[in-house]
Formats: sequence, structure tokens, C-alpha cells
Amino acid sequence: MEKNKRGLGFYLRIYRKVLVQDLKSKMSYRADFVISTIGMIMTNLAGFITFLILFGKFPSINGWDYHHMLFLYAFSLIALTPVQCFFDNNWNLRFMVQSGDFIKYCFRPINVFFYFISEVFDVKGLGQLAFGVGTLVYAWNKIGLVVSVPIILKLLLYLLTASLFMIAIMNAAAATCFWIQGSGYVMVIMFRFKDFAKYPASIFSGIFRVIFTFVIPIAFVAYYPSLVLLDPGNVPLLSWISPALGILFFYLSYKFWMLGVRRYDFTGS
Amino acid sequence: MTPRKLIALTRAGIMESLQFRLGTFVTLFANLIYLVLVYYLWKAIYASSGTDVVNGMTFNDTMIYLILATALFNFLEMFIVWDMSRSIQSGKIILDLLKPMTFRKYTFWSYSGSHVVSFVLTFIPTFVVVMIVTKGAIHMGLNLLWFAIATVLALIINFNIEMIVATICLYTESTWGINIVKETIVLLLSGASIPLAFFPDKLGTVVRYLPFRAVYDTPLSILLEKNGSDTISGLLSLFGMQLIWVVVLTIAGTLFWNHSVRKITVNGG
Repeated sequence: MEKNKRGLGFYLRIYRKVLVQDLKSKMSYRADFVISTIGMIMTNLAGFITFLILFGKFPSINGWDYHHMLFLYAFSLIALTPVQCFFDNNWNLRFMVQSGDFIKYCFRPINVFFYFISEVFDVKGLGQLAFGVGTLVYAWNKIGLVVSVPIILKLLLYLLTASLFMIAIMNAAAATCFWIQGSGYVMVIMFRFKDFAKYPASIFSGIFRVIFTFVIPIAFVAYYPSLVLLDPGNVPLLSWISPALGILFFYLSYKFWMLGVRRYDFTGS
Repeated sequence: MTPRKLIALTRAGIMESLQFRLGTFVTLFANLIYLVLVYYLWKAIYASSGTDVVNGMTFNDTMIYLILATALFNFLEMFIVWDMSRSIQSGKIILDLLKPMTFRKYTFWSYSGSHVVSFVLTFIPTFVVVMIVTKGAIHMGLNLLWFAIATVLALIINFNIEMIVATICLYTESTWGINIVKETIVLLLSGASIPLAFFPDKLGTVVRYLPFRAVYDTPLSILLEKNGSDTISGLLSLFGMQLIWVVVLTIAGTLFWNHSVRKITVNGG
């Protein structure tokens, strides 16, 4: 019964405390922090170079020109920041489960998923955010989109929506380790899938269009949400309802994750 | 060092990898979806470019190249950096250092088993599927033999890159950061994400002399008989470049490791 009394405020307070501890321990490895940040910048640069090389050879892809593609790319970078910053501990899940250390999360009187995820805040994701924002502003200017309060609010809403999908994908991928040993590659490959979020989903056809929209929803990580801003006169229904779908996907991935935890409890390993 | 001991290590590695059969299956399946993404992206790129041949590569060439690069990636993938950082943390590295053979040799041969397994379970099936689907786009001749030799050389180069990076980690205490830098550089400059043929001229010329190219691009070029590898002199220059890097990196890696191994500090353990 007591559990019901714990509202958002309670969890926010705990999150702040855990966050401060995590940052303190990170600061004690300053070299690691600096190198990781450089590493993060390098991956973004490499992604950008890949993009430039492709567009050096091919001026447009499926009717999308350079600046529109750049917009999509920047949008996906920003949308991927929350999963990087707040949900990075998912990468440790399989080691914790395999070694049995995961059991410690089950003994606390708070939500297991929340406690596990809150333990790590990944600061270097902020570098990606800066990179993404810079690129987005540049592309925004070049395309000549309008700037107004409602449009900015719309942008924020749909960025948040897009990030929910990526969080859902990574949650589900991480949770497979409760069932499959050696499933680390699922996370690695899902993380590689995200590189395709920056291309318009209209390149897919047939059954795969459905798969990449509703099963592995990478089409929602940038394409559908960004259409609301890029092509306001011609927004498909999927774009409008993407916030609701994002919440649904996140909820489902959470349920899947928790199902894994229950299974873990029962095996008693 | 008797070969019997080395083969024993290989056998142990094979048995260990076969433990995770479900994991292998998942890997294959995930790869398949990844390749579907690659297929649609390049199909759209070629459709928008208006020509069939770009920089000497047809759509088919590009697809075969990228599919086999992915298969090669799984085959060559090593986790030396992660394994070493974990075994330093747990103190297990002491046991490995006490083994009656050099650490580098021990590491190389204990990985050989998983290479054998992934070659048989992922590379060969992928290769056969590509052969059937493309109906003879891959020439069946001596190039297969040269490809096999080039792959072994690529394996050694890759091992050396991994070992050098792992040795750097002894100093920095930053595994994730160093590893991501390595992965980014290798994937971009080896041609695993975009075939080297599409690189702009200047960048391409520089990249052709770097060791990363010898890991993916060289074996694949030889297999597909591109980059002048269908002539004796072209073949020799590709092999020569690989051999030079094998020698340089083996010597550099050995010296670096022997110098650094004294620095290892295991806390507690």
C-alpha cells in the first residue's frame, strides 16, 4: 500500500541523490571522463564524415537534398541524447545478470527499473547534444524554416517523442539478456540500427517498411516526428499520433524489461 | 612451443563459443535485418544517382562488398580490450601472465577458437547466400585462395590493433573511451561502412596507406577482383602493404606490451 504514496516527487528526489553520487565517482576518474568525451566527439565526427562522403558522391537521396538530410541527421542526434545520458546503464545489464549482481536491485523498496536506470548518468551524451543542436540550427537556417514559439514547442514535443522510441528499442534489446545468454550482440546491432534513423524512412518498401515502423521503430527516431516541422502542409497521420505511439512503445518495453526481472527472480540465480 | 598446446587453446575456444548457440543464431538474425537496412539505403542512393556505375562500383558490387564486410566484421571481432580491462579489475590477468607462454600468444590462440566458429557459422553461410543470390557475381578461381590468405593477414593486423589499444588502456583507465575511438576509426577508414571506392580522391589516397584498410578493404577487393587485384602486380602490392603492416604492428605491439606489462596495477584482486 505504501508504494502508492510514492509519487513523482519521491522518485525525482531519489534520482537527484543517485545522480550526484554517480557524478562524484565519475569525477574521480578524470582522465576517463576526458577520453570518453573525446571518443564521443569522434563518433559524431565520423558519422558526419560518412554523411559528407555519401553526399559528395550522391547529391540527393530519394528526393531529399543535402540540407533536409542534414536536418534529419541533427534531429536524430538530439533525439538519441536521452537514451545516451539517462539509459546508459542498460549496457551493463547483461553483465549484472550473468554475474548475479543484479539481485541487489530487487531488494530495494523502489521500482527496480527506475533504480537500475538511475544509477548511471552519462555526461558525454551532452557533447552529442551540442553537436546535434549546432547542426540543427544550421540546417534550419539553410532550409529557411520559420522560428516561432509554437514551432519551438512543437519541435521539443516531437524530439521527446522521437527519443522515447529509441529508449524503447534499447530497453527491449537490453532485456533480452534475461532470456538469452550471450545476447550482447542484440544491443550492439540495435545501436547500429540507429545510424539508419537519419535516412528518410520512405526508402523502405513493402513488409520492411512495416517492420521498421512498428516492430523496430527506427522510422520514428527521426523521420516521422521531423516531418511535422519539415513539411507542415503535408503531415502524415503517423507523424501526428507519434507522441501517443512513443508512450505506448516505451510502456511496452518497460513491461518487457520487468517481465525479465520477474523471470530472473524466479530462477533465483 | 608445440602446436599441440596451441590447438588445445583453439579447441577450448571453439567449445566455449558453441556454448552460446542461441546467441549465434540471434547474431545471424540481427545481421540479416541490418543488411536489409543497408540494401534499402544503397538502393535508394543508386536510384537517385541516375547512373548504374559509380566509381567503378555497380549496385551489386557495393552490396556484395558491404554484406561481406559485415560478415567479416563478425568474424574478425575481438573483445580483447574489454576482456583485458575486466581481467585486470578481477585480478585474473595474473593467472594469464603466469601461463607458460607469452601473453600475446596466449591471447591470440585463445581467440582462435571463436574465430573458427564464427567463420563456419557466420561467414561461410553469408558467402554461400551471396553467391546464390548474385548468381556468380563472385568469380570462383584463384581469387578465393588469395582472399583466404588476405583474411588471415587481416586477422593478424586486427589482433595487433586490438592489442595495442588494450595496452593503451593500461595507462588511461578508460576502456570505453579508447575502445570507441578505435572502433570508429577502424569502421570508417577500413571501408566497412562505406566502400573505400567512394572516398574523395585525397582522403582515399591517404586511407589506402593506413593499416585499417588492410583489415576489410584489402581482402574484399581481392575477392571481388577490384583495385587492380586481378593483375599480379596489383595483387602483390596489396599483399605487400598487408605484410608490411603485419610486421610493423607485430613488432610495435610486442615492444609496447613488454614495456607496459610491468605497469599493470591490480587493486586487491
